[in-house]
Amino acid sequence: MNWTANDLDLYMQQQEYIDTALIPLVHIGSGGAMKQSASSAEFLLNLCAFIERQFKGRVVLFPPFSYTDGNDKSRLASEWADSVSDMPFKHVFYLTTDPSWSREGIIADAIWIPSIPIESMDKKLKQSVLEDQVRQIIPVLTAKWTTE
Amino acid sequence: MSNTRVSRRQFLNYTLMGVGGFMASGMLMPMIRFAVDPVLEGGAAGDFIPTSQKVSELTEEPVRVDFTYDQVDGWYESEVTGTAWVYKDGDKVIALSPVCKHLGCTVNWAGDSAHPNQFFCPCHAGRYEKNGQNVAGTPPIGPLDEFDVKVEDDLLYLGATKPNTLI
Repeated sequence: MNWTANDLDLYMQQQEYIDTALIPLVHIGSGGAMKQSASSAEFLLNLCAFIERQFKGRVVLFPPFSYTDGNDKSRLASEWADSVSDMPFKHVFYLTTDPSWSREGIIADAIWIPSIPIESMDKKLKQSVLEDQVRQIIPVLTAKWTTE
Repeated sequence: MSNTRVSRRQFLNYTLMGVGGFMASGMLMPMIRFAVDPVLEGGAAGDFIPTSQKVSELTEEPVRVDFTYDQVDGWYESEVTGTAWVYKDGDKVIALSPVCKHLGCTVNWAGDSAHPNQFFCPCHAGRYEKNGQNVAGTPPIGPLDEFDVKVEDDLLYLGATKPNTLI
């Protein structure tokens, strides 16, 4: 499901099946890091859209949550955790290309994916690269679904 | 020259009738055209999307075929990639939609090692037979949709989806 009114209508009716929130964490870099962060964001959002399509009936893809270097990550994380825990989701997956979330233990179970610059690839290659990445993430997701 | 003489009155009559007729038809034609327009409008079913799949390379084992088309949603224009599971049944080419009938996830052929000859939906373990029939006892409530299929120069063209006709 996407974060749209129509999809959320369906979500309201099918809450027992759609039990997972997928939240992309997007880093907004400044100065020389702008382009790099844009490239990562492009990759991450493409990937999320792909995952959403694969798991439409189980996952609600949140609008990307973006933060800058100036934000206090641990505060952001705890605020998010508080708000999301009020929602009826059994699983919350954070997806990010920024390793600091899980490395620094802020969100210990954030799923980190190494960013691949897809902007210069042609469509076919882009698609197959994303497919490979999704194929690697699927076992991570299904493992979390079955254990928790 | 013919011998019948045309009187001035007749000549004017004919001319005025002719001109009047043109004017009347000029007014009536668009009205009639508008009135019958819904009948003349052709269906949009002729939209077949080309794929790169060669039909001669298809087997009885379903393979994934991707195709792309443009989609405009509000101001957001995007290129959408669609997928179909295609296989041959005798000489007939069958293309099934990968969209699960439960909540719209994407199903995979042989996605579950316990059921290698079925379509499998990873979200809630829904299963379908090869012809798209949903397996009873799993969440899906109907069979997979089917694509209209066209073959031209050995290449596969996919049309609109329709309810499964194989069952």
